[in-house]
Amino acid sequence: MSETEYKVSIDAEYLAGRRFEYQEDISQVENVDLLAATPGPDINWLEDVTLLEEDGVPAVFDRYSNSFLKIYFAIPPGREDEIARKVLIKHLESGNSYGITLKERHCKFPQPELGPWVEGSKMVGTNWTAPVLEGWEAPQH
Amino acid sequence: MDTVAPPARFDPRGLVELDERVPGTAEVDGERAQFDARELTTRQINLELRRLVYELGIREVTVHNPGAKHSLGVGILARCRITFAGSLGYFACGLIDGPEVHITGRVGWSACENMMSGVCVIDGNAGSLTAAALRGGDLVVHGKVGARTGIDQKGGTILVLGDAGSMTGFMMQRGRQIIVGNAGHGLGDSMYDGTIYVGGKVASLGIDCVPGEWTDADTEFVTRKFTIYGLGDPPELQKFVCGKKLYNYDSLEPSERKLVL
Repeated sequence: MSETEYKVSIDAEYLAGRRFEYQEDISQVENVDLLAATPGPDINWLEDVTLLEEDGVPAVFDRYSNSFLKIYFAIPPGREDEIARKVLIKHLESGNSYGITLKERHCKFPQPELGPWVEGSKMVGTNWTAPVLEGWEAPQH
Repeated sequence: MDTVAPPARFDPRGLVELDERVPGTAEVDGERAQFDARELTTRQINLELRRLVYELGIREVTVHNPGAKHSLGVGILARCRITFAGSLGYFACGLIDGPEVHITGRVGWSACENMMSGVCVIDGNAGSLTAAALRGGDLVVHGKVGARTGIDQKGGTILVLGDAGSMTGFMMQRGRQIIVGNAGHGLGDSMYDGTIYVGGKVASLGIDCVPGEWTDADTEFVTRKFTIYGLGDPPELQKFVCGKKLYNYDSLEPSERKLVL
């Protein structure tokens, strides 16, 4: 995209530079266990996740990258929110959310890269150091 | 012999605990651990929690004698169970994403602010601004909550078995609140969206907060939450929603809309 081009809607595939298989194939997400993927005995935070629409395409919002993840396959009637939640969890567990990429580059304190979605994921942010402005000197207090 | 002293570490504002040594005092037993926080500072307690959860992969941690210190259990971003055996101060368990927390005492203001996901059960009372800007997950308070509970709430569920203070649900944008007791003045003032259920008396409704129509989905939701947390049968509740006269996200910029999703 040129610097002068203005884009209102920034979706997940724009940020990642590619489209993911689970956006196009329902079989990729059918085995996602929503209860196992969330804290507590019900679906917890996913209760607030529903199927929405972006650019006229069904989509689920990824709050970790502030972008919509479009869904291109036909969603069976009555399963709209369930499928949206499964696509989102698949996206997060796969580490494809742009927010996860930003974690690797910029996070300032140690944390699991894949957050609460994948047990035992690697730690990031363990060696962050504050940038130093060239020519700046610390005050003497 | 000349010795070179390490450079003095000094925070002129007096806001930062400079001792960043991890205490490493926890007793670890398999996937469980416990430690006594009585002699530890806030930073040391949080560092020890992170060591246990992140580095050792401990899934159940008990913190004894938290001493109502502020900002404990903040920013834990992994699935685990944490029990604070006692009371906590301000900003307890803020910004968490994944933990299931049990606090056996009381908490100060802003408990669970900005919680992304997880569960927090507080046995006692909670102060003002409880669950401010809550994004997701469940917060259960067995006692009372102070003013502006759920201010700017953007998701999740707040379940209060006692009374709630004034301006509860102020500028609420999404999510759900169940107040079993009475609610103070200005309930749901300037709310954009979301649902508030109240079992007791409402002192007064805020601007654009109006009674809502009860549906089967409400019954299913309330019953499910009461069952999950072992609270028995839910009482009769009134439902309140946004009248949509004051604010409407559909007319705002797309980026504004995203802020509440």
